Amino acid sequence: MHPFAYFEPTTVDEAIALLARHGGDAQLMAGGTDLLVEIKESLRRPAVVINIKKVPDLGGLACDEAHGLRIGALVTVRAIETSAAVSRLYPAIAEAVREIGSIQIRNRATLVGNVCRASPSADTLPPLIAAGTVAAISGPGGARSVPLGEFFTGPGRTVLTAGEIVTAIALPPPAAQAGASYIKHGRRRAMELATVGVAVSLRRDGDVCRDVRIVLGAVAPTPIRATAAEMLLEGRAPDPARLEEAGCAAQDQSRPIDNVRASAAYRRAMVGVLTRRAIAAAWERTT
Amino acid sequence: MTSVIGRSVTRWDTLGKVTGSAVYAGDVALPGLLHGKIKRSTVAHARIRAIDASRALALPGVRAVLTHADVPRVLHYGSPHPRSASVTKDQYILDTTVRYHGEGVAAVAADSEEIAEAALELITVDYEPLPALLTVADALAPGAPAIHAVGPGGNLVLDPVVVTRGDVAAGFAAADLIVEGTYTLGRPVPAYMEPNVCVCQWDALGKLTIWTSTQSPFMVRGTLAEVLGLPLTKVRVLVDHMGGGFGAKQDLFQHEFLCALLAQRTGRPVRMEFSRKETFLGGRTRHSGSIRLKQGFRRDGTITAREAEIVFDSGAYGSHGPGVTAVATASLTSLYRCDNVHLVGRCVYTNTPIAGAFRGYGVVQSYYALDSQMDEAAEQLGLDPAALKLMNAVRDGDLAPSGHPIVGHGLEDCIRRGLEETGWAARRAAPKSHDTGRRRRGWGMGCEMHGSSAYPGIKEQGNAIVRMNEDGTVTLFTGTTGLGTGAHTALAQITAEELGVRFEDVAVVHGDTDVVPWDIGAFASHTTYMAGRACQMAAAQVKAKVLARAADRLEVAADDLDIRDGVVTVRGVPGLSLTVADAIAAERGIPAPQLVGEDSYRPTKSYSFAAHFVEVEVDTETGQIDVVQVVPVHEIGKVIHPVAAAGQIEGGIQQGIGHTLTEDFRVDPRDGRPLNASFVDYKMPLAMDMPPIRTIILETAPDEGGPFGAKGVGEDPIIAIGPAIANAVHDAIGVRFRHYPITPEQVLAALAEKGATPTPGAADQPDQTDQ
Ligand SMILES: Cc1cc2nc3c(=O)[nH]c(=O)nc-3n(C[C@H](O)[C@H](O)[C@H](O)COP(=O)(O)OP(=O)(O)OC[C@H]3O[C@@H](n4cnc5c(N)ncnc54)[C@H](O)[C@@H]3O)c2cc1C
Repeated sequence: MHPFAYFEPTTVDEAIALLARHGGDAQLMAGGTDLLVEIKESLRRPAVVINIKKVPDLGGLACDEAHGLRIGALVTVRAIETSAAVSRLYPAIAEAVREIGSIQIRNRATLVGNVCRASPSADTLPPLIAAGTVAAISGPGGARSVPLGEFFTGPGRTVLTAGEIVTAIALPPPAAQAGASYIKHGRRRAMELATVGVAVSLRRDGDVCRDVRIVLGAVAPTPIRATAAEMLLEGRAPDPARLEEAGCAAQDQSRPIDNVRASAAYRRAMVGVLTRRAIAAAWERTT
Repeated sequence: MTSVIGRSVTRWDTLGKVTGSAVYAGDVALPGLLHGKIKRSTVAHARIRAIDASRALALPGVRAVLTHADVPRVLHYGSPHPRSASVTKDQYILDTTVRYHGEGVAAVAADSEEIAEAALELITVDYEPLPALLTVADALAPGAPAIHAVGPGGNLVLDPVVVTRGDVAAGFAAADLIVEGTYTLGRPVPAYMEPNVCVCQWDALGKLTIWTSTQSPFMVRGTLAEVLGLPLTKVRVLVDHMGGGFGAKQDLFQHEFLCALLAQRTGRPVRMEFSRKETFLGGRTRHSGSIRLKQGFRRDGTITAREAEIVFDSGAYGSHGPGVTAVATASLTSLYRCDNVHLVGRCVYTNTPIAGAFRGYGVVQSYYALDSQMDEAAEQLGLDPAALKLMNAVRDGDLAPSGHPIVGHGLEDCIRRGLEETGWAARRAAPKSHDTGRRRRGWGMGCEMHGSSAYPGIKEQGNAIVRMNEDGTVTLFTGTTGLGTGAHTALAQITAEELGVRFEDVAVVHGDTDVVPWDIGAFASHTTYMAGRACQMAAAQVKAKVLARAADRLEVAADDLDIRDGVVTVRGVPGLSLTVADAIAAERGIPAPQLVGEDSYRPTKSYSFAAHFVEVEVDTETGQIDVVQVVPVHEIGKVIHPVAAAGQIEGGIQQGIGHTLTEDFRVDPRDGRPLNASFVDYKMPLAMDMPPIRTIILETAPDEGGPFGAKGVGEDPIIAIGPAIANAVHDAIGVRFRHYPITPEQVLAALAEKGATPTPGAADQPDQTDQ
């Protein structure tokens, strides 16, 4: 493996200072399940690796109806997966974390790491965006909050600037009669990168959908909102004809690529199928 | 006596494996060890104008760089059994021409892997591009440039293999139905757990010791000695534990030569280990290509004629191309009886990764075509496919592909048992309307037979030395390798059983070519069958010696004695006995003469059989195929170790599901660059993807040649699962696929073409099985 200098800061400020000092040569490491693989495969050659696992302030998983869900930067995917409260209140997040890699990977990987890696196919991004998640960021210039819907700027790229670190992410409490779902499409049941991922969150208002958010993963440089599909459903009942329309609209908004994993045409078709299924699943959960 | 045959005793190798104490070639740590790496070609076909290694040599920590100018230029086989008909002599250690993207062009030894890797980037290679022939069609096109100077020409690896029996023209003339199709074959790789690795060290007397992950240590010894110009006493090959090979590790790879030469050049031990990516680039694949198959049938299902044209893609070198082509071609004479056959097999060089030996050895391909076509014929004849296969199944006395008469009714037994176990008739007859919506289910079955031993391609020989120690324990010396199948445990069981000692009292010594008897290698489903028989024969000799000595002591005739559980007993005299240890103990201070038995067994051929029954579910919106359950029925003669045999079967099914649905090593059709040389994009089914498997093993057709009637099971399980899945998919959605892997995109395209995609949201749609 390519050599690098290694630091273990014990406070957030220290981590920020190290990051600021080494600039683009430095990489933060949480679980390391993305970073170390990338270094071993020579996809990244950071001169400095800053392990944040010794920073006590970055832990903490809190979940309840009143305050919502707060996930500290060091919370592992497995901790979220095994939280009964998350499964009950945020079923789409629970579905997404169960899909990541394998149990071994989930025991090390952090959810915030999944977010900060900003892979277009990352599993938790669509449901997090659909749930209205906000990232808490600290940096040399102080703290700020950015909704995840505005966080991603390209494959592997985010709005984070030099010296900034995500300390936690926060999800608002689920609305009454809310429903959410995430469906991942891949060739295997585990250890699989999504060829398409679709997350839906909505609220039931009598027979119609409200506050519909549909987020597509792995079909554009960043996760994208299927806004046309959302509008088609807003205030309408999710009957088969409407689902079909929404699926087509989502499909039209996707911009997938052709690669060895799947053709663009197939990915686009799957956006339609998964969107229909994800809306139906989310609706089912509202009752 | 409690027989140890047929008991799943604790395997010798598992404790070491689960505790991490088992030593693999890559674990060997020697003082002063250097790390070797290979610089690999980034073009598919080119002449090397020049290689500049000066910057690499100048890098601190780099100890040696080898290019084609520094290594012996000896044409070699690159494969084991060099003098058999299975392989081709067409490789150099490093050549001045590169023939595929990924071929080694130079090698570095350095103080660390990191330095070696950095050095590779400092080596510059000046390529003069040659036209890359990336498909069989390109390579066979008139006027295509020759990839090799050796061979029969026309980019053929060998002259076409032709097998003819009876009169095909007359057979087709007598047919009521002719079915014809072309089957295209994907390119799966073995994906063994342990990447290729070796460690080389020379001693002061010029003797090379190599620890290497190989299935055929004696072939490594022979080929290294030949290429390096050494007598066999100067090459010692060691292999203790192995993390699989699946056939591919029968070959000698470039790194094994280069590691030896780097160690020689530097005077220090050198380790070379493939990255996972290199196991794709520099490894061996299954032969892809195509099979055109045509069969004639009478209305009652009798097969009147069979014609086939196999074209295999060998990739850049011949490797096992000749053997695989011969075995695949001959295999189509059998499985389903047919008096009139005309079969032609070709194997073609292309500028793609090397195809080699891989579990199933050509038969995965040929029976995928044959068994799929039987289903198609059954449908057109209005017969149940299982009934058609049963009526045509080869049986006792029929000529096997090897030219031997088949013993017993193994295939028929497997089919019948599977039909019962699955309630086949009811399942196939069940109306499909209950699941004709989004997800549709179907059942299919496929059959196979496979030979234990590589006869007649190779005239093989299994050897064993059995020695009884002074305390009555036994040491078995075997040259077979333990590539992870548990074969050494089976050999110990056979030895213990024959001798009459406890299984726990038999130790196995293996993996050192300076010590153990010669062995051809662990492949061809023959270790338990062939080496097992040799163990049995050698053990019988030791037993006779023990009995002779016991007879003296007990003053009875040796014929009246037997050994059970380590105790010599006298027939008809219950009170009189002697432990084996006492029987061989020193007498008045004089030890027993050494108790050694050794024997060689030359097998001909034995066939094992299987029928796999599979249920699949097809999601008609996503095109995904799920294997829901598998019921494999195997007939393998006497079972020595049931759990190990079942393990082979389950593992083969896992690999076979991958071949059929997801695994395909692809190269860019424009430039031959590998597209998915990693486990991220080369997708094997994993634990979570495995369906329930209900394994049934029959012992109804034991073979006289095998130990206690045992036959092989290593390769069989990977063969029948493929056509069984394809046939089940047809049952589910009425679409016949004539290729593998069958991808979701292709399922959707086929359904769309058929007009069978369900209207979204709408309920069910009548099932269509008319295609
Ligand atoms: C075998 C395997 C299977 C996988 N399967 C999946 C899968 O199915 N689905 C999926 O989505 N992912 C998958 N992954 C990717 C990976 O496990 C996840 O992205 C994981 O959540 C990353 O978390 P981590 O803590 O390991 O991140 P790290 O590797 O430590 O970091 C990832 C990136 O985020 C940055 N970073 C980490 N924490 C912070 C922070 N607090 N502030 C700012 N930047 C930060 C790092 O600098 C780095 O660039 C897989 C990985 C492997 C090795």
